[in-house]
Amino acid sequence: MNKKLGVYICHCGGNISDYVDVEKVKQAVENEEGVFIAKTTIFACGDANQKEMVDDIKNNNLDGVVVASCSPKLHLLTFRAVTERGNMNKYNYVHVNIREQASWAHSDNKEGATEKAILLVKSAIAKVRLSEPLYPIKISSKKAVAVIGAGVAGMRAAIELSNMGCPVTLIERDHFVGGRVAQWDVLFTTNQTGKELVTNLYNDLINRKNITLLTGAEVISNAGSIGDFKVRIKKTPRYIKEKCNDGHLLKAIQACPIEVPDDFNFNITNRKAIYHNFPSEYPHYPVIDIKNCTRCGECEKICESVDFTQKEEIIEIEVGSILMATGFDSYTPAEGEFGYQKFDTVITLPQFKRIIDLNDKKLTFKGKEVKSIVYIYCVGSRQIDGDNKYCSRYCCTSVIHAAIQTKKKFANIQNYHFTRGIRTYGKQEILYSDSLKSGDIYLQSYEEDPPVVLRENGNTLVKINDILTGGKEISVKADLVVLVTGMIPRKDNKVGALLKLPKGRDNFFNEIHMKLRPVETVIDGITISGACQGPKNIMESVNSALSAATKSFSYVSKGMLALEPIIARIDKNLCTWCGACAEACPFDAISVEKDENKDIAAINNSVCKGCGMCLPVCPVNAINLIAYSDNEIESMIDALAGV
Amino acid sequence: MSSEKINTSFDALVIGGGIAGGESALNLANNGFRVLIIEKDLSIGGKMILLSKVFPSLDCSACITTPKVSEISRHPGITIFTNSKVKSIIKKSKNDFEAEIIKYPRYVITEDCTGCQLCEEACPVIIPDQYQYNLVGRKAAYIPFSIASPRVAAIDIENCTLCGACEKVCPTNCIDFTQETEEYLIKAKTVVVATGFNLFDPIKIPRFGFGSYKNVLTSMQMERQLAPTRPFNTILRPGDAKVPDNLAYVLCTGSRDVTIGNPICSQICCMYSIKQAQLLMGALPMADVTIYYINIRSFGKGFEEFYSQAKGMGVDFIKGKIGKITEKENGNLILRYEDINENKVKESEHDMVILSVGVLPNPDNATLFHGEELKLDPFSFVNQTEPLASPSRTSIEGVFAAGTATGPMDIPDSILSAGSASSEAISYLIKKP
Repeated sequence: MNKKLGVYICHCGGNISDYVDVEKVKQAVENEEGVFIAKTTIFACGDANQKEMVDDIKNNNLDGVVVASCSPKLHLLTFRAVTERGNMNKYNYVHVNIREQASWAHSDNKEGATEKAILLVKSAIAKVRLSEPLYPIKISSKKAVAVIGAGVAGMRAAIELSNMGCPVTLIERDHFVGGRVAQWDVLFTTNQTGKELVTNLYNDLINRKNITLLTGAEVISNAGSIGDFKVRIKKTPRYIKEKCNDGHLLKAIQACPIEVPDDFNFNITNRKAIYHNFPSEYPHYPVIDIKNCTRCGECEKICESVDFTQKEEIIEIEVGSILMATGFDSYTPAEGEFGYQKFDTVITLPQFKRIIDLNDKKLTFKGKEVKSIVYIYCVGSRQIDGDNKYCSRYCCTSVIHAAIQTKKKFANIQNYHFTRGIRTYGKQEILYSDSLKSGDIYLQSYEEDPPVVLRENGNTLVKINDILTGGKEISVKADLVVLVTGMIPRKDNKVGALLKLPKGRDNFFNEIHMKLRPVETVIDGITISGACQGPKNIMESVNSALSAATKSFSYVSKGMLALEPIIARIDKNLCTWCGACAEACPFDAISVEKDENKDIAAINNSVCKGCGMCLPVCPVNAINLIAYSDNEIESMIDALAGV
Repeated sequence: MSSEKINTSFDALVIGGGIAGGESALNLANNGFRVLIIEKDLSIGGKMILLSKVFPSLDCSACITTPKVSEISRHPGITIFTNSKVKSIIKKSKNDFEAEIIKYPRYVITEDCTGCQLCEEACPVIIPDQYQYNLVGRKAAYIPFSIASPRVAAIDIENCTLCGACEKVCPTNCIDFTQETEEYLIKAKTVVVATGFNLFDPIKIPRFGFGSYKNVLTSMQMERQLAPTRPFNTILRPGDAKVPDNLAYVLCTGSRDVTIGNPICSQICCMYSIKQAQLLMGALPMADVTIYYINIRSFGKGFEEFYSQAKGMGVDFIKGKIGKITEKENGNLILRYEDINENKVKESEHDMVILSVGVLPNPDNATLFHGEELKLDPFSFVNQTEPLASPSRTSIEGVFAAGTATGPMDIPDSILSAGSASSEAISYLIKKP
């Protein structure tokens, strides 16, 4: 029983004290059993008050502390650290939320808010009287990180981890690295091409001893948890031997009779069943697309490197942390959306970028020369009716840059931008003014009145009621209509699902805290980077990749981790293993084990989050949650009921 | 000034103790490196610690900054010099930077001050409070602001009359007028430049009347009026202390404007203005808020939804640039603008106008390094030599830039940029020369 308690009631500036009479709360609890010190403070989290608390704890040998302030999500750890600096066991600290639960919830009823705050603080005092000192669970952490996705973000993160001396397994689902950036030609702002950027990164990482690159590889299961993830990877073969003769291979590709739409060019061209995306694609040898291959054997006849005996491999790795860099999908417009798939002159921005790259001297599409191009912005983003409410962030700059590149590369191009307000934020604004100066025409539609694409006398027309000319109806004849499609979360979320990564409202992976912890997730040991967390341009993706690398490194660098001891505990004598707890557990932390002659439930200490879901379903009351024992909870209920 | 230079060495020197510098320092220190933060202000926490709430999560900014600040200030691997300036940094060779640092006196013995504020009460001098952006006054003996770190008094010697009142009341005798400027010679192996940004001073656009019309404020002044440590405990117009009920925001004040020499977009103003508009609607439920804009740039995670939410709450968004503001006798303001949607020049009356001021580079960046030059970009932000592959690299190997030193950005982007700079600094420290 803790007898010497300190209780601190926070004003939170005015966030609490505007509605809760904090002095009254203090007076109501200062004579509770065990309370030795009761104080109010303007900002409990402020440095000065923290110092004062440390002194109070040390000078008076306090053995329990309660702070009534904001949500424990914000400051539980802050005050645990304070008690630790006062040499008190930090698990004898109890946090009360009288901001969200009293002042903000009852801002219309100051007396009621104060009354509720008093009861909440009293119940915390009741709990801390019974709380026991606890010690973190120490586990070892494997000094290795799995990076999932070898686009620019994943490759850059892998290189940085390798620089820090951390072994990395870089896992890429595709047979080639580089992700989206490999598909782009000249990049904003450096004027290097996407291929060059990818090549530089690939050359840097491929010779490093501590990076293992797996292509054609997919994560199929994960067991374990922070410090010790056991990741199983399925690696599909290329059916080509690593050492191969380029000349023979090229002939083999020519000989292949199969043609399928080429993903790399967003299906505007075809490729063979034996293929590479572009001549210097990495790794630098082709792949046989076994799904479409008919095994006709033509390639085998020409090239000795073709090897149909290669087998699928299952690889198991153990890592301390997982860094996600799985990227994004491009939005595919619905059939008929702005004429998509209805008129053959309507394409998406990624397709357009490939067309600029593939054409030389003259810009043609489907055999016709292209001079007049209409860009329709925000397709699949900022939807009025659809689910994608968010702005895709990169598209305004990306399309303006592509339009400028088109003019630089080809003669007699006229660009018409059908926008919803240009968002070239920051220094990207300069690109927008360059585009205006070069004679591109910008129009803007009303929010509820998008442009219309139609066909008249064999011509494609785009009509808009233009804000910028006071609502005039303007119609532009277009040789090509480019739908500026945004980023959407990966449609195939197998890996996210098996790692149980939570998603936000926009369906991208969600971070712990939007402002201050943008690369950490609620699954300990897993970080997120690049566009899988939300739309980003290359620079922003790389910044987030390097941030995630630092965080992942901090999970593994010391070889040891301290975990929360507040977890479920099984009473072996009472447990009769019915499996109900394992079914209720959202984290897969419960399994069955043999104990003497019977089956009982076992808790995986490093996976259990102490959520308590297993407790109420146990028919024999064999589970206890450490720090939330029945005794503690009952004493809190008594206090709340005023007993 | 004391004649002897004090020699000491660290692994990393972080210039600037705002959120980007702080995050960089924590990342470095958490990986076992010894860090010195140089902060020119009296407190660390930069601009973020002075904000009201943050968009779009509406977390109280003080509440999420103070734990960070407190983690930074008590980290055993981090040393902080506040009220200090970098005189020069010279790169001697790889992993060898030499920095001359000037530490100005606070005239208060930091270790002994309890922050009791008795000196503040006793001081007879009143001058504008820079931490409240001149909305109210402060004393010459003062605690910078209530959640400052360190929360220790300082004497503003330029305005002090040396009357001695503070010395007499100080219970711990910590006021010491004999303190002198100290010079340090610091050795460090790597440098992180996290010098932040300056706000545009709207006095440079006379047609908006800032400085002469009392009810024209900057967005930072409104930020202070909305903060938990606010000066008035409600929203007031400075002219006559009336509670405003019809407020206007002028976006792009000092941004996207070649006439004042800043052609770029400041990236944060749309969102902080939308945030302030939402907070104002909560604080003054009967008030009307109008935002005059060129383009609304709600591009980040959750931003567009936040913008829609503001529209749903009744914030009026008008596409149009403000030509001129004139003041009426009653202190109200007439805004002349072009309503783009209706293709008309119009006038409207508001009782308070907030200028959404933009982000400018910190001019200090130009003079930090001597010898090898720290190159700046065309807008005078620190130049990124590899903006795509290594965004925090600068023209000097071993010097990395974090946060708004390289250009306008919001808090999460600053945190990511700081993560990027610190990870490159860690790699640079680990790699043997």
